Formats: sequence, C-alpha cells, structure tokens
Amino acid sequence: MRSRRARSRGLAIPLLLLGAAVAQAQQSGAEQRGLLLEQDDKYREAAAAYREALTQAPGSVMAMLGLERVYAQLGWPDSLLPVLDKSIAAAPREPAFRAVQIRTLRSLGLTDRVHQAFERWTRDMPGDAAPYREYARLLLQDGQLRTADSVLQRARTRLGTGRGLELEQAQLRAAMGEWALSAASWYQALERAPYLEQAAVLSLVATPVEMRPAVRRDLLAAGGNVAARRVLAALELHWGAPQEAWLVLRDLPRDTATFTAWREFARRAEEAEAWSVVRVALEALLRETPSADLALRAARASLQGDDPAAALELVRQAERGLDSAQAAVRILPTRLEALAALGRADEAQRVLDAYASHLTPELHRRHRAIVAWAWVRAGNVAQARALLGTDSTSEASEVNGWLALYSGDLAGARATLRVRGRTTPELVTALALLARTKADTSAATGRAFLTLARGDTLRAATAFEEAAAALEDARTLLLAVAARLHAAARDDARAVRLWSELATTFAEAPEAPEANLEWARALRRAGKHSDAVARLEHLILTYPNSALVPQARRELDLARGAIPRAS
Amino acid sequence: MVTPRRRLLSAACFLVAVLVPARLAAQFLLVPMDDEQRNHLKAYGLTYNAIKDGLRAEWFLNYRGGSFLLPDVADVRRRAGLDGVTVEPLSASRLGAIRAEIAGGNMDAIPLEKAPRVAIYTPPNAPPWDDAVTLALRYAGIEYATVFDEEVVRGDLSKYDWLHLHHEDFTGQFSKFHIAYRGAPWFIQQVQSAQSMAQRLGFPNPPALKKAVGERMRQYVENGGFLFAMCGATETLELAMAGFDVDIAGNFADGTPVDGNADAKLRWQRSFAFTNAHLEQSPFVNAQSDIDGHQVNVPGRRQPLGTFTLFSFSAKFDPVETILVQNHRTVIPDFYGVTTSFMRRVLKPGVSVLAEEEGAPWTKYLHGNYGKGSWTYLGGHDPEDPQHGIGNPPTDLSLHPNSPGYRLILNNVLFPAAKKKPLKT
Repeated sequence: MRSRRARSRGLAIPLLLLGAAVAQAQQSGAEQRGLLLEQDDKYREAAAAYREALTQAPGSVMAMLGLERVYAQLGWPDSLLPVLDKSIAAAPREPAFRAVQIRTLRSLGLTDRVHQAFERWTRDMPGDAAPYREYARLLLQDGQLRTADSVLQRARTRLGTGRGLELEQAQLRAAMGEWALSAASWYQALERAPYLEQAAVLSLVATPVEMRPAVRRDLLAAGGNVAARRVLAALELHWGAPQEAWLVLRDLPRDTATFTAWREFARRAEEAEAWSVVRVALEALLRETPSADLALRAARASLQGDDPAAALELVRQAERGLDSAQAAVRILPTRLEALAALGRADEAQRVLDAYASHLTPELHRRHRAIVAWAWVRAGNVAQARALLGTDSTSEASEVNGWLALYSGDLAGARATLRVRGRTTPELVTALALLARTKADTSAATGRAFLTLARGDTLRAATAFEEAAAALEDARTLLLAVAARLHAAARDDARAVRLWSELATTFAEAPEAPEANLEWARALRRAGKHSDAVARLEHLILTYPNSALVPQARRELDLARGAIPRAS
Repeated sequence: MVTPRRRLLSAACFLVAVLVPARLAAQFLLVPMDDEQRNHLKAYGLTYNAIKDGLRAEWFLNYRGGSFLLPDVADVRRRAGLDGVTVEPLSASRLGAIRAEIAGGNMDAIPLEKAPRVAIYTPPNAPPWDDAVTLALRYAGIEYATVFDEEVVRGDLSKYDWLHLHHEDFTGQFSKFHIAYRGAPWFIQQVQSAQSMAQRLGFPNPPALKKAVGERMRQYVENGGFLFAMCGATETLELAMAGFDVDIAGNFADGTPVDGNADAKLRWQRSFAFTNAHLEQSPFVNAQSDIDGHQVNVPGRRQPLGTFTLFSFSAKFDPVETILVQNHRTVIPDFYGVTTSFMRRVLKPGVSVLAEEEGAPWTKYLHGNYGKGSWTYLGGHDPEDPQHGIGNPPTDLSLHPNSPGYRLILNNVLFPAAKKKPLKT
C-alpha cells in the first residue's frame, strides 16, 4: 500500500507541470495581446501587455523586444532600463537582453553607461563574441571607428580568435579605407553567412582603382568560397570589367550553387549591357543545363552584342525540341533578325514563308518588315519595297521611311521617318539632315545612308563626303558624319582633314565647335600638344556658349599637363 | 607774354584733361570668390599670372569670399575665358561703391605687387601628382621650381620667396614606413637613394642629412622666407629643428638607437610652432611624436575624421591671418595625412590657430612668424582625398574646381605677393 506522503508526492508533480503550463499560457497570452495591440498602433496598451508578460516570465526575449519597440514609439526608452535590469538578473546569459540594454543606453546618449554595460557583459560571458560584436556595431553606426577598432582588437586578444566578428571587422576596415583587410574579413564572413553578399558588395564597391588588385587577391583566396567569388564578380561588373567578372566565376566546380551563381551573374551582366559576357555565361550554363529559353536568351545577347552569326547558331539550338508552332512564336523573330543583320535576305524570306501558316496576319506583317531590312542590308532596296507593298502598319511605315531616304527621296523620308520607341544614331542623323536641308531629293545622300545601313563604314564615310558636295545646305552636317565615320574606322588622317576643313572653312557652322574639339583630340593623340592647345583655346574663346566648352577645358588641362593623364 | 609758370600750368591742365577722362573710363574686372565663381582654383592662377605680367592687382579680403580685382585688359579676359574663371566687369563708379563697402566692414583691400618665386621641396623624378600643392599649382597654372637636398644644402633657398614642404620625413626615418613596406620595391629604392644622397653630400646617414636640410630651412625663414608645410613635413621639420643635436632617429635609420633621454634634450626654442612634445621612440609604432592628434597609422590610437572650422579675423588688424583663411566655406571636411592635426597642448604661445575641429583637442591650420619670415602648417595630405593611401590614384582637380581645402593652399601661394600695409593701430 502506498503511503499518504507518496500519494501526495505523486500528485505534486502533475500539479507543478500544470502550474508551469498555465503560466506559459498566460505569458503567451500577454505576449500575443501585446503583439496585436502593437499592430493596431496602441502602444501604451501594448507596453502594459509586454510588461505583464515580463512580470510573469522575466526571461521572455519576445516580450522584451516588443517592449523595446513600443517604448521607442512612445519616446520612453528610459522606462525600459529597470525592466531590463530585472530580466538580466533573471537570465544573465541571455545575449538579447544585453544587446537591448546597450542599444537603449546609447539611444539615451549615456555613453559611459553603454561602456559599463558592455564591460559587465564581457565579464559575465567571458568566452562570448556577442558583447564585442554588438558594441562594435553600435560604434560603427556612430562613426566611432577608432573605438570600434580597439573593441575588436580586444575581442581577438580575449577570445583568441576573430570568429563571429568578421562582419564587423570587414565593415570597420572598409570605413577606414583599409580595403584589402576588409576584403579578407568579408571572405571569412561570407564563409559563415553567404547571405551577406549584397552587404559585401556595397562595402567594397568604393575601393579605389589602385587597391582593387589586393581586394581581388583576398576575395579569391584559396578555397571554394562561392559567395566571395560572386561578390567579386559583382564588384568587377560595377568597376566596368565584365570580362574579369566572368573569369572569376567560370572555373567554379560544376554544381547547383555554381549554376545559380552563373544565372545571377548573367542577369547582372544583362543589366550592365555587357552583351558578349552575357552570351558567354549563358552558353556555359547551356552546356550544363540545356534549355530553349537559355539558348534564346543567349541568342538575343549575341544580337545585342553585334554577333548575328553566333545568334543564328544559338537559335538553332533553341529550336531543337520545339514544334513548328512553338518555334514560330518563340524563335522566329530572333532568327529573322539574325539573318537580316547578316544580309541573308533570301534565306530570311524562305524561313518566313516556311512558318507563315503558324503566324497571325499581324505577326506575319511584323516579320515581313524584318525581312525587308534583310533586303536593305543586302543592298536590294527595290526588293524591300516590293515586299512591303502597300502595307501601312507602323512597322512598314518605319521601313518605308528608310527606303525613301535610301532612294534619295528626302521629301518622302521627311514625311514618314519618326522616332518610334528606341532611337539609334542613324535615326538621329537622318532626322537632323532632313530638318537641315530644304532639298526634296538627293541620290548621293540616299546612297550614303544605304551604305551605312549595309555596315560598310569605310565606304559610307566616302559616300557621305560625296553627298556633302551635292547637298549644299546640309554640307557641314554630312561632312561631320563622314569625319565621325573615318574616326570610328580609326583613320585619323582622313578624319582630321575633314575636321580641319569644317573648323577653318565653315567656322560659322553648327558643327564647327565639334570639329575643333575632335581635331584637337586627334592632335593630342598624335603627340602634338601645343597644336592641340591652340585649337582648344580657339574653340573656347570663339564658341564660349557651346555645350562642348567644358569638354574642351578638360582636354586643355590634359594637353597642358595640368591634371593627371591617367584620370 | 607767356611766362614759364603759365606754361607749366597749361601743361599741367593738358595732362589733367588727357589723363582724367582716361582714368574715369578705366574698367576693372572683379574675380568673385563666393559661390558665383565657377573655378576658384584657377582664379588664383589668373591673379598670379596677372601680377607676374606686371599688372596691378588687389585682394579684397572678406569681400565676396576674398575676391580679386584685376585690370580689364584683353589678356586677363582671354585667360579667364580659357580657364572658365568667372569675372565681372566693373566701372570706376561701381568700384568706388565696393571700396566704400570694404572701408565700412570687416574687409580690406590689399595690393598684390610681385608674383612670388615659388619652390617645392620634392625628390628628383617624383611624380607631380604626389603632393597636393604641386597638384594645385599645376592645375592653377602657377609656375614653380623644385628643390631637394642638394639644392638646399648648397644654399639655393635664398632664390625663392616661398617654399613648400609636403610629406618628407625630416627626422630621416622614412616616415617609419619600414614597419609596413620594408619589402616594397619603392621603399627599398627610396632608402637607397636617400643613403646615396647623404653620402654624396658628406653626411654619415639620412637622418644627419635631413637635420642639416631642416636647419637650412629654419635659417631660410629666419632670414625672411615664407614656408608652407603640409602632412608629415610639419611635425618632422619641428622635430628635426628641436632635435638638431640629439639622436632622434631609430636604429633602422642611422644604426644607433634613439637617445633614451631625447625628450629632455630637445631644444624647442629652435622650432617654429611646437614645444614640449613627446618623441615616439618605438621603431614599431608608426608615429613620430604626440604632436599629431589623429595618429592615422597607429592602430588603437587612430582618431576618426570630422570637420574643421576656419577662424574669422579682423581684416584691417590681422591681414595676414585673414588672407590665409579666405574661403567661400568656413566648415571643411577633414582629411588624413601622415600628420593630420596638431595637438593644442603642444602649441607655443603666440602661434595663430587658423582652423580647428570644434570640441577636439587638436587644431588643423597654424601660422606664425619666426625671425624676419613666417611659416604656415596645414595638417593632412590631400583635401579632396580624405583617406589617401599609398598607391591611390592622384586627385584630378578638374573634378574639384571649387575645393575649399585647396583654396587654403593657394591662399598661401599668393600671400607673399601681398604688399605689407602699416597697421592702423
């Protein structure tokens, strides 16, 4: 038979458990109530609920954080201090309470007490990095770099390691301009917390040019830290070195993390319009994880990067596995654009015809305009015009405007050519010409623009010179176009001949300031600094209101050696 | 009959008739130095070159940021146009109104008479972009000569009105860079060339040579020269002068340790600005003394950058100090250097503090007289590169044409051109 004492002991244990459960339920209830009241912006009531929760359970972190928030809203942070003292006494090893304490003291401007609280924390938890981390963070936020530095140094001495403090160390070093040390700390921080990538990029992006090699070295330290490499790739993109950015990621082990990194890199490179690198990255991804979408994206990147032949090859890859109907919708436009850019008009026409049954009439008209461009590129304006016929859609009108210009029908071009969406240098030049000249026809001008459209820069430059001789009232504009094309083809001698003619014979023309500036630049490239100085001085003094004067002054400073050439 | 006296009177009347209208018709150019100015830095070059060409100029202290008055001649207009310097034509009557305004306020008009002959103390073959003053002079178009140890020891300083020193270490310890850079090729080359220069000029080691050079500079100022120093040159020149006959260089520089009693042996009466500073004797601490408040290269001592405020002086009673602080800003972001600032507690009595960081124990910009000459110290390396580190790219001043920090440097360059006026008290 069990004794009475044993019976009562047996009863006591369930009663104790029941009591704890009731207290827990009440605590949770007070916390929940506090949260709901806080969400309704009833901060006074929420504070009462959180205080109640802390009275029942002084060690409740959730209630303490809630109380910190609502007291901040009410402007009563000082009221938190006595509550914190009780909670810290109840749970001296709870880091959240200590962190709240130093945050609160700091918000009250009690600098000495912040330091005292930090010291107490380190004494109570001697092997813990948390006190150093929290205090260093606050000091960094306040710009107290020296004190933050000494706190972190002390942590390393006391703890015998910098583990757990890498993030603060990295931010401190960047703030102090110690870029290489910052990069090394970021490397370690990223090993433990890859989600800090964005913070690392923001911290290191301001690294001066001369310090970047050291940052590269430290982020590429031995070991497969994918996050650090992703950070470096993002930095290289920011620093205008997309090729280097890709090299950082290219040789990573082929696994899911790497493919994610490549995909993200391609997206960033697209944003930076680094098309050739986008294509290379997508092609690498395509080899590992083939898909029509990736191939098509790579093809678009190739087209944007002026590589239509590569685009065509990628389009073929994208087409595999798709039926004709799908290909007509998804692949056809890119394929036709690539063929048009290559001037393969016959083939473009055959492809369009092959898919015609899968296209709506509107899509067919739109694609026909692309084929018309293919004929232009092939030099067959008549065929392009015949293809468009009487089509009056906006796509056809745009092409018709260009066709009119190519055939020398300036009046027709003037009536039709408009800015529709994206502008191109060719369109800007054409519209400027049509606004400048009163002539209705000029076969030579048409030939010049057509040669340019066919991608033959050298012949186009000569053709524009011939057009200038034929079209008196737009002569200087056409000469300037010719000079720009010669310069683009790296033929400085012919460009300078035209710039000098414009600058000296047509000093009143709108193109004269540009001619002087470009002439001076060419002179500087040729090492004729005193001639360049004279030309730039002439430009600044003769055309003081030109928009090019600031550029001319900078060129003048460079030519005189008044500022560093490297800049 | 016309008497000689009458003839003289007629001649005088004729001269008045000819000259007075000409004078009345004369035009001037005001170079405003307030926020209307598009290129403050080149405005100094415009003024300097006008004086150099023999034109008369005036500095209107505290008038529109410290404006300049130049004659309205074609060459000045041309140069202003080329450099993008804002100028405002003034009639004589408008000028009269400005002069009345200057006379009635805390302003003054100081004639600028002679373009000073400028020398920069810098090693041969040093790139011009390593020194804020050289950057400023090149950008502003102010001509200068360079001198180094050989020229100084030879006595060439007397050829110049104004001498600039930058981050040279006159204690001969190579800014204690051996701590971090002893394996760097540039550092090895610097040490080798300093040793060979010392040997060539008959000194046992670089510290001995640099002390002799520092002594020449002290004599230069004593004899009437204007010395302007920045960065580490300020602190180390003082140490070299005060420690002329004390071993203040570490074993790594001269083969013998620092005199353990050096602090007590320093003769501060020989220096310009500081007194009772403590020499940093440890070869492993990258600091020279406790003169610098920021101690940028000493982990644990390094202080963060703040802003410094230029003091306001009475233009009529303290024209020199007023000249040195002419600016369109009074609060300027601070910038680090090997020596960034100067602790107030080590300043000699009588030193003029031109700028300080409010609430901090240090000052930024100092001026004083010594013998017949004067000196000015500005802490920090480059006003537009606050965190400047070794190997950083040079500052492109065309991106900072209105830099208030660089204006302080250029105030110093034009300062010797100002004609001394008798004080009104």
